[in-house]
Amino acid sequence: MSQVISKEDLIKWLESLLKDRTVVAPVAADGVTMFRPIARPEDVVYKPGNATLGPKECLFPLSHTIFTVERNDNGVSIVPDTMDREIVVFGLRPCDAQGFAIFDLPMLGDPADPYYKDRREKTTLIGIACNIAPPGCFCSSTGGGPHDATNLDVMLTEVSEGYIVQAVTEKGKELLQGVPLKESAAVPPPPPDMPLVPTDDIVAAMRRSFKDQYWSRLADRCTHCNICSYVCPTCYCFDIRDYQQDGKVHRVRSWESCQAPGFTKLAGGHDPRPEKGAKMRQRFAHKLLYFPEEFKGVLGCTGCGRCVRLCPVNIDIREIASDVQKIGGG
Amino acid sequence: MQMQEMQEKIRAKARELLQSGSVDCVIGYERATDGKTARPAFIYTADDIDRLIYDRTCVHNLAKYLLDRKDKTTAIVAKPCDSRSVNLLINEKQIVREKVYVIGTVCQGMPDVTWNQIGEENQERCQRCAQRTPVMYDYLIGEPADAVIPTFKDVEEMEGKDIADKRAFWQEQFSRCIRCHACRQFCPGCYCSECFVDQLDPTWVGIRKTTADNEMWNTIRAFHLAGRCIACNECERSCPVNIPLSLLNRKLEKDVGDMFEFQAGLDSEAAAPFATFKKDEHLKGVE
Repeated sequence: MSQVISKEDLIKWLESLLKDRTVVAPVAADGVTMFRPIARPEDVVYKPGNATLGPKECLFPLSHTIFTVERNDNGVSIVPDTMDREIVVFGLRPCDAQGFAIFDLPMLGDPADPYYKDRREKTTLIGIACNIAPPGCFCSSTGGGPHDATNLDVMLTEVSEGYIVQAVTEKGKELLQGVPLKESAAVPPPPPDMPLVPTDDIVAAMRRSFKDQYWSRLADRCTHCNICSYVCPTCYCFDIRDYQQDGKVHRVRSWESCQAPGFTKLAGGHDPRPEKGAKMRQRFAHKLLYFPEEFKGVLGCTGCGRCVRLCPVNIDIREIASDVQKIGGG
Repeated sequence: MQMQEMQEKIRAKARELLQSGSVDCVIGYERATDGKTARPAFIYTADDIDRLIYDRTCVHNLAKYLLDRKDKTTAIVAKPCDSRSVNLLINEKQIVREKVYVIGTVCQGMPDVTWNQIGEENQERCQRCAQRTPVMYDYLIGEPADAVIPTFKDVEEMEGKDIADKRAFWQEQFSRCIRCHACRQFCPGCYCSECFVDQLDPTWVGIRKTTADNEMWNTIRAFHLAGRCIACNECERSCPVNIPLSLLNRKLEKDVGDMFEFQAGLDSEAAAPFATFKKDEHLKGVE
């Protein structure tokens, strides 16, 4: 038997969550969907597949004042930014949640990033399983799947009566307290099929192909525009600067990309990675080589397909994963 | 001329140019991984020529790639708008005419194309575009077509709005900006070795990504393209959050046209109004 919530009760649940929490969910704006704090349950957009931009911003803001420095009688004090409200991320997909699990490896390691940790601990993830896989998606090849609840706190799967509710973690169970669920014989539909991408021996293949001309030829058409990094649920590079304002110093951390012009530029102007091929390879090597080597084989890619769909010149990580297998011959 | 026939002509010309050694590389289009749209292709040997395609999904302006090949000989497939950016780059001394072979294609407009999605109608900018024939080329594919009169209906509509409404509109648009700077990376007119947005001393914009900072970024970038934008729309095409950047660019195109009777990229000899200074120069209508 499954536990099911009706669509009406789901709206009521969201209303009650909004009373004392910030609820972030996919909303629509000019043809794109992105995660934003919602004011009412009606703001949420339900559409097949994941949102144009994922929920990465909720835990790792695009631009974040991580602390301010203030002068006072005792000298100076550093005031870190902390969340004063619990966050619920609603309507994310299994690939988005896997993105946070991948973020956790470097961000909650030793030492942990305190700003990410603060937000992570105060966040609960209510995901919706994908019953349809739009073109470009390949999560079943990257250690997850369209119905994979592993990295969520609560998983919802749409059925005719509403949503099958699965409390995955203790945090999820707490959030569900008092929510009316009905016992039902409803069964989830089978997870959608999607084309497989060869990722089994990807680390070895990436190592083998590392110095191949393939990368510079592929990078011919790359303009190093950063879109892939900024829409990626696992890209976590950032830049930090201090701003002076209102007599205080604000330390600001913003998203940065390995594809950006200044990323590897050193004082004095030297750039150790100026070639287009090496620059572009860096991003894919981080996902498919360095990250799994560092973190017990975990790929730095969740198969969300955003970079595939949004790259203006069709640099396609699925094609790269398949191409590098053919290079070097082992 | 049918597009299939244009494709055959592009392939034949590419073969001729590569086999004779006139160019090291032909930049054209090939099929993308969705199996239905195009992506840029760099062809270095005659063996790869059959990869080249030409159809209604070849929307990309390939001229920017010439900046990566300044010292090499390159052939490039160019639609009318793309040919204007080749002129722009020659005029601004970024590339040398002799090193570029332009395979011009007559264009009746292209639909909106994103990965796996092809629009049915022509892009709005194509409906308003004046050129049907490339303004410069070494080899032309297709029969020359008459120019049409460009319209600025969308700009005039925006001009007619109240200033508070305009501000609200753009703030809403720029609040979505994630500052990936893809607009800059795809713009053939954006080639500064250090962009103002990346400059640290002075810090014009910096790394903070608030709506105000985003407004600053997008507005200054638009101004830098005044009298230089050739309306290829690569900025808008690449924007992952659908900001209607062409509206800003076209406003400037309209004003520069009205004030200086100038359109960018029509002539490789004519510099943009803001790139020249003449003592006897005055604005139209101003004594």
